[in-house]
Formats: sequence, structure tokens, C-alpha cells
Amino acid sequence: MRERVYIDTDILIIGGGTAGCLAAWEARRVGGPKLRITVVDRANIRHSGSLAAGQNALNAYINQGTPEDWVAYVRYDLLGAPVREDILLSVGYELNETVALMEKEGLPIKKDAQGRYLRRGKWNIEVNGRWLKPITAKMAEKAEAQILNWVYITELIKQDGRCVGAVGFGVRDGRFYVIKARAVLMAAGGAAGIWRSRYEGDAHHRMWYVPFNNGASYAMMKRIGAEMTGFDTRMIPLRIKDTYAPAGTLAIGVNAPMVNALGEVFMLEKEEYVRMGGHTAPTPVRVWACYREIAAGRGPIFMDTTRGDPEKVAGLREQYLDMSPTTVLYWAAHDIDPAREPIEIEADSPFLVGAHAACCGAWTIGITRMTTIPGLFASGEALGQAPSRYISGCWTCGRIAGRHMVQWLEGEGTEVPELDPGLVAQLEARTFAPLERWSKQEFFTNGKPVRGILPREMETHMQNVMEDYCGGRIRYFTVSEPYLEIARRRIDRLRRDQLRYLVARDLFELERAWDVINRLDCCQLVIEHISYRKETRYLGFVTRTDYPERNDAEYDCFICSVWHPETDTLVFKKYPYEQIVPGDRTKETI
Amino acid sequence: MPPYVLPDKCDGCKNEADPWCVAVCPGNLFMIDPVTSKALCRDPGECWDCMTCTIFCPRQAIVTQVQYQLAPIPAELIPRLGKRHITWTLIDCKGRIYRLENMILAGEGEEED
Repeated sequence: MRERVYIDTDILIIGGGTAGCLAAWEARRVGGPKLRITVVDRANIRHSGSLAAGQNALNAYINQGTPEDWVAYVRYDLLGAPVREDILLSVGYELNETVALMEKEGLPIKKDAQGRYLRRGKWNIEVNGRWLKPITAKMAEKAEAQILNWVYITELIKQDGRCVGAVGFGVRDGRFYVIKARAVLMAAGGAAGIWRSRYEGDAHHRMWYVPFNNGASYAMMKRIGAEMTGFDTRMIPLRIKDTYAPAGTLAIGVNAPMVNALGEVFMLEKEEYVRMGGHTAPTPVRVWACYREIAAGRGPIFMDTTRGDPEKVAGLREQYLDMSPTTVLYWAAHDIDPAREPIEIEADSPFLVGAHAACCGAWTIGITRMTTIPGLFASGEALGQAPSRYISGCWTCGRIAGRHMVQWLEGEGTEVPELDPGLVAQLEARTFAPLERWSKQEFFTNGKPVRGILPREMETHMQNVMEDYCGGRIRYFTVSEPYLEIARRRIDRLRRDQLRYLVARDLFELERAWDVINRLDCCQLVIEHISYRKETRYLGFVTRTDYPERNDAEYDCFICSVWHPETDTLVFKKYPYEQIVPGDRTKETI
Repeated sequence: MPPYVLPDKCDGCKNEADPWCVAVCPGNLFMIDPVTSKALCRDPGECWDCMTCTIFCPRQAIVTQVQYQLAPIPAELIPRLGKRHITWTLIDCKGRIYRLENMILAGEGEEED
């Protein structure tokens, strides 16, 4: 048995990011000084997760109109998809207030001549967000939460049908952490690295979304039996080629038009794209349009910064230093000046997100943020069917989750009885299994294990399968049942049979091992959810060649699944779409 | 793009328990080499290029480079952390030098040296 750390707390927050830190702050605000709050992160909350490099805009802010208008926009931007309007509205009502709060905490928000927040398009404002993460983390510190940095949570604990805590390992100290909690918030981010990265070797993590977000949110909630939803959307970001830095800064930040190699502003000049919304068409449609142009031989695709607003183009380097310094260095190495030449864009690999332009996450009850497992809450990227919340929406969502967790503690979230020692011992064995296997290995002369598989090898195998058979870039993001069937077989083989060969030499490799275990669970969710939705609803994100049309009669609804461990299968159910904001779902209201 | 450590500049944060680069990397990629007592990025390919290590290194010992598979040499981007700003020195492949600044915290106050 390894050295153990026992922690007994009221609220356990897994992931010290936008949602987690603000949940801690709000829980303290409404729950009072006696409440025990614990935040756990695999890295240091001041610099961890998808805000590690900063951001230069808050993409959810109500500059005009009402929260209802914002919800109508979010709905429109995913092609009128089923979205949880109740959840989005609850965010919309508090969005601006939360942003003002964060400005008070030190976030520099740019202002226009009248002293109002500087708009970038309808729903965005510009910020100097390089320090977003330390500013966000300060909220958890101010809440006097117990902060456990460098602890990797591997599994949630369920007793008597309720979530009562989690276990994990210290990535620096190797100790086994057993955390008992009356309420648990899952806010550990989305998933990168499911599909094959664009580059190999020393650039295999040159991607848009942070590679340290491994889908643990989704995997852990799935394994504990929570209803999961939205994996039939996945996000494919159009980004600056090679650095995969955000391109919105070029599009709405400096008004650069998207053009093909012939210089055509195709979204505005071609009837089929104009019909779908022109240059403000829903996000997946713009991805689809780019790839149609490339397939027709009219690539590459560029953001024509030479036709942008010259004054703003001149400030592009500073804007990218706020979130992607890599891009500035890359331009300097290639002698690229966006004022002199257009900037090439391309799609990065697909990612699983719940707070950006996709719906992955747990199904939650009403606006409580509680999943179908009592005591387990979800926020940030882990919250399903409420897309386009972005940073500001995740802050807000975290606050709402914090409040509802305090309510739960006052009601059903009673004291947790002692954890079952047998179960804890089982979880410990599972957590450290790849390390234990290493010590039993024989090795070839070059140091490679004879019967052990390294995390990186397994990850590469998984990514190859997903890329080729689950709609990767090389398939132009299209899928069909015959491909999915192969993906299913190969991924199931890895999950059911190959994990017993996974080995880790040290704690650093053990992190990688758990990354791949979690990613494989995400693969199962993606394959089965895409397979279940036999239609093409999110053209561009998931384009099914065998079912190219929409089928509203069957699938205009929410699709959820529960994992059954004894058969290792997902059992599906549907929930009807509830429209709260009236009007045509495929149109914006303002 | 991946961070590399200059041995003459890195002092291993003088054997502090938690050297800056080790403490801030979101991917837990930095370690102190037990033989040389200097920092190194244990797997450059795992790096996300956020440059947090490069910004925080008190000795400016960390160089962030573009992977050669993506861009030719030379080009340099050197951050310097102040209290409310980061000042960046950018040297492009033609040797032109640019000084760029971005605010990180709102408010007024003395800049640290």
C-alpha cells in the first residue's frame, strides 16, 4: 500500500479552471465561512488548462439586445441544433455581471472612445487576457479554498448511488489521495488528442486546444454511470495554419474577409453559401464551405488581412501575444507581415468541448448543474448541450454550480458515511496498475518492454484509428457506418483487452497512461453517439455520407447515453427539445 | 515552440524546492536534471508553446523556438515580466528588432525592474 492522504471536505472541485475557481468563490460567498471547499488540479491552477497561454477576447458578452437574443444566436450558430435553452438563459442573465466582477479583479478590458467595453462583433469584447488564468485562480485563493496542485484525479467514488468523492495520485509525491466529499463538481475541461495531431515529433502538441485536457471530465462521469450527451457534435476549429491560433481575431477583430486561392470572398459571392448565412453562417457551415472549396481545387484558404482594417492589422502582433505568442514568433521566422500578405487558415483536428462550439458533456437536471448521479455536478466544458459559453460563460456557469451545490448541501447532501475500504483499495490498485506492471517487465536490449505498451504507443494507435475511421482530417471530416464499425472494433479492442499491457516507468508516464485511458473512454462516447444519430445535423463538424440529410422526425432531440459496465455498452435514450426563446431556430433574432 | 534551457544562464533556481519553470508548466514538463542541477524540458514534443516558463524564468535562461519542421531559423521572442506588463523583444529572420508590450493586469502602479 502506498502512502495515503485522506481529505474530508464539503465541496470537491475537480479542475481549477474558469468554472472551478468561480464555483469555489461563489460557494464561499453563499455558503459562509464554515464551508470546506477543496480544489484539485493536475497542474498549478495559476497556469493550468486551456487558459495557460491567455486569450484576447471574451466571446460571450451581451453587447446589445437581451439574454434571449444571445440564446437565439447560440442556437443559430449550431444550425438551430437542440441546445439547453434553460441552461444558456441562466448563463445569459448573469454574464455581464460576472465579467464586471472579473474586471474588478484586475482583468484589463479594452474600452472604446466612450469608455464602454470594446466590442468585437455582436457578442464579444476585447481584453488583454494573457493573465486570465492567474486572475481566475485568485478567485479560488480568495475563497480560501484548500488548493491541491499537482494531484491527478483518476476516478470518482460512488456509494449507495451517490457521488461521494474521488481518488487520484500526486504527480510529484506519488501519494494516493482519497477525498470524501458531500458534493463534487466536475470541471476538468474538454478533450484534445483524440484524433491524430497534424504534426509529429516535437510539434505533435502544436494544436488549438490545450493538449493537457484529456477528456477526464467525460471519461470519469461516464465510468460512474452519469448520462452523457452531445458527443454527436465535435468541434473542428478553422485556425491559422501551422500554429492553430484562433482566427476570430482576423475575421471579426480586423474585418479580414475569408478568401479562396482565386481571391473570391466565397461566403458572400457564392449562392450556396449565401443561402446558408454568408460570412456569419453557423460555425460548422464555415468549416464545411472551406473544405468544399479546397476539394474543388480552390485552396488554400486565407484570411485576407491586406483587405482588413489597416489600423487594427498593425496591432495584430500584440493581440496574438495575449494568447498565442507562438504565432508572432512563427511570422517573424517566415518574414510574414499580415499587412502585406493574407494569412492561410486550415482546420485543426476535431476536439471535444462543451463550452465552445460543441455540446459534449454530462446531461444535467434543470439549471442545477447536477448530473443524473446525485451529488455530482458538472460545469465548464464538462456540462453538456450548452455550447458557446466560452470563458465568460464558464465563469458564470461555475458560479451557478457553486450556488446549487450549497443548496444541495443544505438539503439532500448529508454527511457521507465512511468510504468502503475494499472499494478504496480496488481504486488504488487501478490507479497505480501501469506503474506496478513496469516493475514486472522484461526488456529488449534497447530498453523497450517485451510485453508492455507505452502510453504514447497506445495513444498513437488510438489516434490513427480515430483519424482514419471516425472522420478525421484525411477523410475531410466525413463519416459513415462502415468506417465507424471498424473504429468501434479497434477502439473496443484497445479498451477491453489492451489496457492490461499499458505500462508506465514513472509518475510522469503514469499521467500519460491515465490520459490515454480517459481518451479511449471518450472515443467510445464519440463513436457510439455519432453512430446513433443517423442523419447530418451538424454539417461540417460531423458530415455523414450515408445519411446526408437531416431527419427531424427521429433526431430533433437530445440524445443521451448511460454506460453499462457489465456489457461495456452505451444504452441510449432521447429527451425532447424544449424551445423557450420563440422564433425560427435557424435564424438570429438580432 | 518547445522550450530549451541555456546551461550558462540557468542556475536551477539555486536549489529552491520549486524552481519557477517546474512550478508553472501546465503540462508538468519541466524537471531539474539531478546530474547538472539545471532545468530541462523532459519532452519538448508534449509542449503546448504557451511560453509561461519562458516568461517566468528569472534568469531568462529559457529559449522558446519554433519547431524546425514548421519554420526556418532564425527568429527570437524574448519576454520580460513586469508587474502589470510583459515587454517582448522580437527579432525576425532579417534581424529587425521590435519592442512589443502587452498589459496583463489593470490598474496603475510602479513597474518592477
